[in-house]
Amino acid sequence: MPCERKPMRYGHSEGHTEVCFDDTGRYIVTCGNDGDVRIWESLDDDDPKFITVGEKAYSLALKKGKLVTASSSNTVQIHTFPDGDPDGILTRFTTNATHVTFNRSGTRVAAGSSDFMVKVVEVSDSSQQKTLRGHEAPVLSVTFDPKDEYLASSSCDGSVVVWSIEQQTQVISWPLLQKTNDVSNATSLCRLAFQPAAGKFLAVPVETRVHLYERGSWDHVGSLSDELLTQPVNVAAWSPCGRFLAAGAIGGLLTIWDVNSRLVVERQKHEKGFTVCSLAWHPSGSQIAYTDTEGCLGLLDGLGTSGTGTSSTKAPAAKPKDYDDLFDEDDDRLMDEGLSDANSPVKKAAEDEDDDDFLIPSTGRVRNRGAILNDENSLDTGSLKLGQDKFGDDEDDDAGSSVAPATAQRPVYDGPVPTPPQKAFQPGATPAHLTHRFMMWNSVGIVRGYNDEQDNAIDVEFHDTAVHHAMHLTNSLGHTMADLSQEAVLLACPSTDDLASKLQCLHFSCWDTSKEWMVDLPQGEDVKALCLGQGWAAVATSALLLRLFSVGGVQREIFSLPGPVVCMAGHGEQLLLVYHRATGFDGEQALGIQLLQFGRRKRQLMNGEPLPLSPKSYLSWAGFTAEGTACYVDSNGLVRMLNRALGNTWTPVCNTRETCKSKSDHYWVVGAHENPQQLRCIPCKGSRYPPTLPRPAVAILPFKLPLCQTSTEKGQMEEQYWRSVLFHNHYSFLSSSGYEVDEAAQTQSDKEQQELLMKMFALSCKLEREFRCVELAELMTQNVVTLAIRYASRSRRMNLAQRLSEIALEKSTQLQEDEEPEDEPEFTSDRLTSGYRQSEPYNTRQNEEDDEEEQVEEEDGREMETEETKRRLNPFAKESGLPAKPSLTPVGRVGRSNPFKVPDSGKLTSSSGQPRASNILDNMRSSRKLAPLSGSAGKPSKGPVLKPLAPRTKAKAQSTLLQISSNKMPSKKTPEAAEPAADLQKQPDVVAPPAENTENKRPKTGFQLWLDENRKIIIANNPDLDETDVIKEAMGRFRTMSADERLSWTERAKGQSGDAADVKKRKRAENEVVESDESNARKKSSSLDPSSKLSAFAFSKN
Amino acid sequence: MDPSEVEFLAEKEFVKIIPNFSLDKIYLIGGDLGPFNPGLSVDVPVWLALNLKQRQKCRILPPEWMDVEKLEEIRELERKEDTFTPAPSPYYMELTKLLLNHASDNIPKADEIRTLVKDIWDTRVAKLRLSADSFIRQQEAHAQLDNLTLMEINTIREFLLDSLNCMYKLRSNLQPGATKGQFADY
Repeated sequence: MPCERKPMRYGHSEGHTEVCFDDTGRYIVTCGNDGDVRIWESLDDDDPKFITVGEKAYSLALKKGKLVTASSSNTVQIHTFPDGDPDGILTRFTTNATHVTFNRSGTRVAAGSSDFMVKVVEVSDSSQQKTLRGHEAPVLSVTFDPKDEYLASSSCDGSVVVWSIEQQTQVISWPLLQKTNDVSNATSLCRLAFQPAAGKFLAVPVETRVHLYERGSWDHVGSLSDELLTQPVNVAAWSPCGRFLAAGAIGGLLTIWDVNSRLVVERQKHEKGFTVCSLAWHPSGSQIAYTDTEGCLGLLDGLGTSGTGTSSTKAPAAKPKDYDDLFDEDDDRLMDEGLSDANSPVKKAAEDEDDDDFLIPSTGRVRNRGAILNDENSLDTGSLKLGQDKFGDDEDDDAGSSVAPATAQRPVYDGPVPTPPQKAFQPGATPAHLTHRFMMWNSVGIVRGYNDEQDNAIDVEFHDTAVHHAMHLTNSLGHTMADLSQEAVLLACPSTDDLASKLQCLHFSCWDTSKEWMVDLPQGEDVKALCLGQGWAAVATSALLLRLFSVGGVQREIFSLPGPVVCMAGHGEQLLLVYHRATGFDGEQALGIQLLQFGRRKRQLMNGEPLPLSPKSYLSWAGFTAEGTACYVDSNGLVRMLNRALGNTWTPVCNTRETCKSKSDHYWVVGAHENPQQLRCIPCKGSRYPPTLPRPAVAILPFKLPLCQTSTEKGQMEEQYWRSVLFHNHYSFLSSSGYEVDEAAQTQSDKEQQELLMKMFALSCKLEREFRCVELAELMTQNVVTLAIRYASRSRRMNLAQRLSEIALEKSTQLQEDEEPEDEPEFTSDRLTSGYRQSEPYNTRQNEEDDEEEQVEEEDGREMETEETKRRLNPFAKESGLPAKPSLTPVGRVGRSNPFKVPDSGKLTSSSGQPRASNILDNMRSSRKLAPLSGSAGKPSKGPVLKPLAPRTKAKAQSTLLQISSNKMPSKKTPEAAEPAADLQKQPDVVAPPAENTENKRPKTGFQLWLDENRKIIIANNPDLDETDVIKEAMGRFRTMSADERLSWTERAKGQSGDAADVKKRKRAENEVVESDESNARKKSSSLDPSSKLSAFAFSKN
Repeated sequence: MDPSEVEFLAEKEFVKIIPNFSLDKIYLIGGDLGPFNPGLSVDVPVWLALNLKQRQKCRILPPEWMDVEKLEEIRELERKEDTFTPAPSPYYMELTKLLLNHASDNIPKADEIRTLVKDIWDTRVAKLRLSADSFIRQQEAHAQLDNLTLMEINTIREFLLDSLNCMYKLRSNLQPGATKGQFADY
């Protein structure tokens, strides 16, 4: 018996749903958990009439224009049909009725209720009621005997009872079912049924079988079973002719038996495997409507029950079915979660089928096959015998006995089942079978397709009306696919019998007058997917070809696809191509992905890698973010984005299902943006796709990486950090492919990442996780490590600080190595030397700054830190944007040779031999000592200290060379430079006298440096001296220094005074002048270093 | 206060629009608006929304409460209760009028909404009159009326205050020699 399973459609909200046909078979009538009765003209009726009968409708029955429903108001109501006017209440119960049914003539209604009672009511006069008492649990189901003599009912107490209606007594009762306390807990609804015409049998679903009892004698005359039926049968329904019995089971299996032969004539599996809870035959017997517990409605069409001689045609039909099973394997629906409707095996085998590829007439061969398989599968031999036993004593016709073994031999293949491959689709389009649909919704605009009686048209609308005005096209060619870009609309239609598949392009941005072109594909080649990029259009065809066109219509490259295309997406020069790599098994799809670039250098970025999908899901959207990163969504709502930084891997960035309120809600993704991080999608209530009307509104979902423990602070920050890193990968990609990059945004993101790292660092510090701190520090940029070091040392974690300083050094070397090659060739040797020379002062200056900052920090406490982070991060982040100027600062940081500073015994410590480990500690000590001094000065020296003094080119040279010097530089010079500088701030007037130079303040600094170094010694020698005395003493000592040294300092100072920047600087506020002096001083001090003396000399000659 | 003034205040309410143009953030005294991305909804004050709408630069999304079912509920509640129920929006009348007059093509079932809002308005104003009436009848010195919107207060303010003044004058004239003690009898 061939039949066609129509796709399921949404009928009611989730829950028990019932279905019946009206007397003429014109309407399908359903009721469901939403309390509505819907009247469908056909399965495709998108606007069914509905009657609201209550909050929930439990059951319905329809006969002779009367619609009887059991609703949640504990009543059984009548409505007229099809008008839906209320026609009174038939009866009431103390609780809700569970099942209502008409008798054959439509004069009586029987209703079973959860209050254990069954009532039989006259439709014309509801006062004439008969109550059948005796069940000890809620009644599951009731059915009338066609002769109106008996009534059968099943109940949760486990009994199936036949009542005599007139006498209101039990005729017979069988304990057949499992006992439960409520209908909702019952394993099976046990919808029993009397055979209609003859009334010979009563069918009772019991477990996985349907028992047949003979009317009158009430003998058990047989059972209908099927070895594929492994779950309890929920509902049984007789065909109107009484010859066939259909049963719907829990796992969604629909089975139809020929009752005479007791043979299965049809098996169908619910497409999603939901429990079938109601079945109804069309009055003509050609259709079965069924509903599931999720509220969906389905239809089996084309059942040939009226055909004659079915038994003889069925015999051969059953055998090829086995063959099918073995090789085609797609009718083993137990595991089939099929996406596309697979046809029934029986249908394929049927005589009148076209595709006789499957039809193997040699029955013997097939049997052998079956036997072989049975041998392999020992389980099956048992069932074979069982089957034979079962059918052995059948008194039925010849065909029955001969076919029985064949049916029983059906080899049950329980290995992996291939998944039907997902069909090609356009990302951003709703399914083609809808009359009103979106053909494309993307970031440019919307293409809507209408295909109804009046109109077959396409509407193109642009989000930004500046791109182009809206267009209305008549769709005479029947286009089913569309794509839209800033330049063009691309449309394509599949081929028909006489017309080839066509590709049409409306190139509206074209500057000449012909804005349209059309291409016919070769005969037999159909467009399967298409997409538009910048200046090109791509079409994937059924001939496994990818054809590339220019947007003006020139044919370009053509190449073969590795598999049937699933979808394509274009962005700029990139083409994303998803195809079937292989056959997937057990609900999985095996997709591959290619990413091509059509720029000047044409290349393949991803070469057919498998596309990761969630288990048992398929691809539902694929495309690019606005910034050009590939990204896709699977049917489980998981959004994944390409991570270019990790070798083109895919990172899940969002799960849209998490934000859905209900299980059946979905988000229909229309686009993604990386900056700002937005997933643009349309919320669809109760469906996967949005309707075209009312016009859906776009919602925005945030991205979230599925990291562990995001409820904790640590997890949150980690998530934020990695998300930020991932979503800013595109900057490097864009700049590498020559696009303009929003530098401000990039800076911002870098800053954000470093801040997050610092926060995580602080958190780990608090949690005493020093190792973790070091790990975090590895991720930081160099100047943030400096901060981290400071943080660590302030929180007295000296070990940590040590390790961090090692990292800092490593990073500085790395940075330097990275930058070295960038040096421009014109920076010749003399520049380099000058760089060397200058680098030291800069280092020292930097030290000094650090010191100052520390001083302030000590005063201001911790809150300063954040501010400082910002200030420090900013210049660094700019580095990439402005090569020369900002690099000064980071390099200065690099030259954070504070670690090298030995405040009290600089001369004693050998420069190279200084252990790095003690660096930071020394630094801390010195800064602490300085703190009170600067405190008394009361002049916070923050602010604009960091302004570069030197011209740009010099700064550049320094930037590259400083690190070297920072490492090489004798550490003792640093403190010399730094400390007097700090001193000087306080006492400029005191130091003024020793000026030996025309540049009045410059000599001070030389002295200052010296003072700084020797202050402690002086103090140690003369502990009772006060501040001014110390200075005096120091001055005395300074004068005793060798003329050589003093001279070099002076010369340095002179050279420095030539700097334009310096001149400018002097115009600034007092403290800034001091600053610049300091820096000069430091330069001088560094010239003490023999290695840099030469360079100092060279510079002064400039 | 003039109704037009109240309407002016209502124009500061925010409403969602879907612009069909692209514009960066705009910085206004009242706060920053935007950025405007074509196809993406954004909150803007009503005055701007209407301006853009008139220039066909946007579609207005009706506020959440401007929905037939919700308004029906509110209407039923308003009819059932003796006191004022919270209005769907402090400027529901003004917004309805503004949006329906200028953007009725963006609001589904505009006519029904118009009727419903009018019904709600009528019910509320009737209540207001009734309470004013009883206020005067009972010669109360004060009364509490919650959940009134500005527009509703405005409809009755002038009339009520003037009439109270008049009545005061009349009463004082009625009993020229009346003392304060006698007034207390009222």
